Amino acid sequence: MKNCLWEVINNKNSLSKALAEEVAVQIRFGKTKKPNVIWIEATGCSGNTISLMNADYPDLIYLLDNMINLKFSNSLMVCDGERAFESFLKTLKEDFILVVEGAVSTKEDGLFNIIANYKGNKITAYDAIKMAGAKAKSIIAVGTCASFGGVSKAYPNPSEAKSVKEVLQKDVINLPGCPSHPEWIIGTLAYIITNEKIEVDDLGRPLLFYGFTIHDFCERRVYFNNRIFAKNIGEPWCMFKLGCRGPVTKTDCPKRRWNNKVNWPIGDNTPCIGCANAYFPDGMEPFIRL
Amino acid sequence: MVKLIIDPITRISGFLGVEVEIEKNKIVEAKVEGNLFRGFEKILKGRYALDAVYLTERICGICSSAHALAATLALENALNLVPTENVIYIRDLLHSFDIIQNHIRHFYLFTVPDYVEFDFSSPLYETCHKDYRIPDKLSRKIQEDYLKSIEFSKLAHVGVALLGGKAPHNHGILPGIVSVSLDRLKIEEIKSIINKIKDFVDNCMLEDVNIISMYYGDYFEKGKTYNNFLSFGLFDYEDFYYVKPSVIINGVKSDFDVNKIHENINYSWYEVHDGQVVENIKKKGAYSFVKSPRYDKMPVEVGPLARMILSGKYNLKSSTMDRIIARCQEASNILRIMSIIVERIEPFKKEVKYDFKVSSGLGMVDTTRGALLHYVKLDYDKIDGYDIITPSAWNFSPRDDFLGTVEKALVDTFIDDINDVVEVGRIVRSFDPCISCATHVTLRR
Repeated sequence: MKNCLWEVINNKNSLSKALAEEVAVQIRFGKTKKPNVIWIEATGCSGNTISLMNADYPDLIYLLDNMINLKFSNSLMVCDGERAFESFLKTLKEDFILVVEGAVSTKEDGLFNIIANYKGNKITAYDAIKMAGAKAKSIIAVGTCASFGGVSKAYPNPSEAKSVKEVLQKDVINLPGCPSHPEWIIGTLAYIITNEKIEVDDLGRPLLFYGFTIHDFCERRVYFNNRIFAKNIGEPWCMFKLGCRGPVTKTDCPKRRWNNKVNWPIGDNTPCIGCANAYFPDGMEPFIRL
Repeated sequence: MVKLIIDPITRISGFLGVEVEIEKNKIVEAKVEGNLFRGFEKILKGRYALDAVYLTERICGICSSAHALAATLALENALNLVPTENVIYIRDLLHSFDIIQNHIRHFYLFTVPDYVEFDFSSPLYETCHKDYRIPDKLSRKIQEDYLKSIEFSKLAHVGVALLGGKAPHNHGILPGIVSVSLDRLKIEEIKSIINKIKDFVDNCMLEDVNIISMYYGDYFEKGKTYNNFLSFGLFDYEDFYYVKPSVIINGVKSDFDVNKIHENINYSWYEVHDGQVVENIKKKGAYSFVKSPRYDKMPVEVGPLARMILSGKYNLKSSTMDRIIARCQEASNILRIMSIIVERIEPFKKEVKYDFKVSSGLGMVDTTRGALLHYVKLDYDKIDGYDIITPSAWNFSPRDDFLGTVEKALVDTFIDDINDVVEVGRIVRSFDPCISCATHVTLRR
């Protein structure tokens, strides 16, 4: 934890870039192999794939060229139909990392989320995640739906959605966030690829990215300390009284920021809605108290 | 007769399978299957009214701003709240950055690999079809533009984040207001982003789609729909507009009338029980979680081609290649409109008061993939009912008396090589399917 704290404070912004470069060097000199990755989109919005496309340093192409062999991705792979699913099946026979985004719909044995039809059989996301989860070297749940159920599991949970860990009952690294930040995803992959242990908390979240609350590093903290509070959307003060969930939400958003680091929700004069929390959205509402 | 199931249709948002029957190299039957159910309308009931904006964004990772805007319009309608022109311009700008992000990503990441063979080393780019016709030199040019496109689609999301905090799932649009603090520097920043993206779209994207259309001319004959088109209108201002709310049915144009919208669930995995629509995966004959919205009982096509035709910027015709070209041309046109809007926005002071009561509201807007409708019923500050009809529901609906729009586009298509059916994926992708969006259940009507 001490080591982690140092890294967070001193090296935060360039960290996942540094990690990714280290991985590329190790792969080039044969110290590690480019691992296979299966990325399953389940019951969600595929927003984590979009977020991954928004990665800057390293970007999506660097990730695909230098860090991983992405073998299955519904959103991105060129092949379709049975040949696409065969790539999934073949990869199961090799070493691979499983990434899941979206919650796992279990209603009607998973038929509320079919991801393929293979030789006349409907393959549900529930089936595919169990098949791959049993053999994967490491499992990463990307986004709040995969990590904790998220919006897909919100009351009354119409698709009987569960988190990846609930379904697999194995160690899962959780990277919550709605969506997850691309650097949290690529940074975590970098650790797994180099066989370096990434420290996680009791909810499976890497301390490197989820070690502190948003409140700890918020750029508006000084207003909180001086009890200067915004009463309306758009005011530049602390939004605690508008329902900001920064004090109970652990991510490094204030320092990492979003989309080429140009902004983040609090920078846009809106409260943090706690989208990376285990109880999002049910336990985080109303998002804005006006 | 050969029966073929292509599932997953990859390079789309969400889960879609297509079942076709082919006789003498011609598709004679097609079923389009939406394979995901989430039940957002059920989730929304009983929640705080304002939360509809941020929650409905989570329907779709690729077009979240569209849902924020439609939910905001529905709530404004329910609350009798009229935003200022400045607010409308700013949020339209935010929404249009997201449309541009979509159009660039859909063209390069999802469409181009259907027509151009890349030589990237990643296994992601392994192909499973043979019909690639573009000469190597031009393929390498398009591959270079593909790499550039990743930067420019990201830049469009930087535009969303500047105005809305982050993307996807921005925070910037709310009933009556936008949350962003604008200053002169930020406005110049936004202008420069628009210029940069427009330069790429006009000089690379339009050229690349032109190259593709030259080598795949037969796709002007494949994937024809009914010639029924619908738009709820987009960038419809007092002194200028892109497209007005309008429809073309059987080739005849008229004004749009909201009362002509109906939905049926004949072939969808839903049933009506005690006036409520409930899911039933075992329903006989049903094959999709997508419902069938109809305009005046007719299936219609929505999206960039529909808008370009309805605005008079494109000839009245529909095909796979026309759809792809219209999307690229629309991207250029929207960027042009964005540079007009950005000159009109200015820093402002935000004040809003919500006066909640028992009421209902309708929010309709055209977005990336076409016409999007949100309907909210409020019990003071709580949601009593919520309905959503998404663009992909119009295009990807199952049949009733008529085939669904995409089913119609598939049927009668000539298949060049029965052992390598590449046509189905190409036709379906030209509609830019978003099945995360399309799968909902309606509580009440």
